Amino acid sequence: MKPRKPLKVFFSVIKALFLRELEMRMSVGKSGLFWTFAEPFLQVFIFVSIHAAISRLRGHSASTYEPTVFMAVGFIAYNMFKNILTSSMGAFEANKGLFNYKQVKPIDTIIARALVNLFFTIIIYFLFLIIGFLLHIDNLLPKNPIMVFVGFIWLFIFSIGIGLLAAIGNSFYISIGKFINSISFVLLIGSAIFFPIVSLPSFAQKFFLYNPLVHFMEMIHGYYLYGLDDRFVDYKYMALWTIVPLFIGLWLYVRLERRIISL
Amino acid sequence: MIELYKVDKYFFTKNTKKYILKDVTLTLPDGNIGILGRNGAGKSTLMRMLGKIEFPNKGTIKSPHSFSWPLGLGGGFVGNMTGRANVKFVCNLYGKNKEETREIIEYVKEFSELKEYFDMPIKTYSSGMRGRLGFGLSLSFDFDYMIIDETLSVGDAKFRKKAKDALLEKIERCKVILVSHDMKTLEQICDQGLLVHNAKLHYFDNISDGIREYQKINK
Repeated sequence: MKPRKPLKVFFSVIKALFLRELEMRMSVGKSGLFWTFAEPFLQVFIFVSIHAAISRLRGHSASTYEPTVFMAVGFIAYNMFKNILTSSMGAFEANKGLFNYKQVKPIDTIIARALVNLFFTIIIYFLFLIIGFLLHIDNLLPKNPIMVFVGFIWLFIFSIGIGLLAAIGNSFYISIGKFINSISFVLLIGSAIFFPIVSLPSFAQKFFLYNPLVHFMEMIHGYYLYGLDDRFVDYKYMALWTIVPLFIGLWLYVRLERRIISL
Repeated sequence: MIELYKVDKYFFTKNTKKYILKDVTLTLPDGNIGILGRNGAGKSTLMRMLGKIEFPNKGTIKSPHSFSWPLGLGGGFVGNMTGRANVKFVCNLYGKNKEETREIIEYVKEFSELKEYFDMPIKTYSSGMRGRLGFGLSLSFDFDYMIIDETLSVGDAKFRKKAKDALLEKIERCKVILVSHDMKTLEQICDQGLLVHNAKLHYFDNISDGIREYQKINK
């Protein structure tokens, strides 16, 4: 067999894994596929209802932004992060048999799974646009599409960095996976998905802003919705949280790749 | 040519290191190699190391050749996906274009004799059917070395004969590294022998000598 160029091998592996991962998602049956798409809409529906109930209790209804769009964008972004993180953690174990093919490296399985999650995120976003259009929701489209796009791609890279770290940790210390699963609820509340930071009292704002995810959410929300801005976003802090995990993750990965293959 | 240089390979058992190879330096000339050894001596591990999908704890193994995936265990197939989809996946992995992929699918379908099962999820297959699919698939790629772990024993007598014939035809163009407990097959296919015993490697340029030595330690 003729030797192929490394980059060409890499791309054909990613393509093969991506298609395989897609096919696996499809083959879990109709109900599995249905829930992949229905889950975010159910989440948004529940939280919009809660939001409406609270507004009514407080007696004032007018927020400065469109709550449905706010929740939907928040959940779409957060779900992308969470799905990349959890699917990375299981990637090595689930694809063990594939390391029999020499050209498949463990990190390829993480990248392929992340891309599949990105793909589903895009589909879900367009579904949301269609449903929003049919329901006549105001201000459906982003205020600044380019910056929203940048925010999502940045979040995607951030998620891969964290996911890679979690995957490596999880393959040598199982408790890391358990830990991440058990704090995911706290993460959901603490990531400013369904409320803007500006609505919080100032002592709480400081506390929330330690969470890097909050910055991503604020950035995406700030550029998406009229009536909100990115005043709380610290881009340096986001860059730090993107670069450091990615580098530590890659460094550990290079050192441990062979051990992961024969795990 | 495969060069082993100061190779150590061990696994951890309860509280000791169990060596499979200890300080092995050896150069294997090109040829069909049969790996011999008792159960648990490390034949499969050695085979996987030669095929570069497992790595020594110390030392290096070098060769300029391309190796197949280890044939036989049926690992690397997705249970939820059909035989056809799994074949397509491997074609993608090796960067085959549409036309080549179509040809390979046709060939594997024909060779494996799976008929309508070819379009059923792999989890519905028996282990013999899995083996047939894997064997047919590996025959459709050209490697310098095929590495085979006991697969020649899959399927019924008729398929076994067909598989052996196909392999004998194949090894006119490529080399084989074979792990087997079936001495007749080894003698028929391989010309060199490699015996793994007590963390040492013994090389025989004639497989019959290797088999004789193996039978001696097996007594």
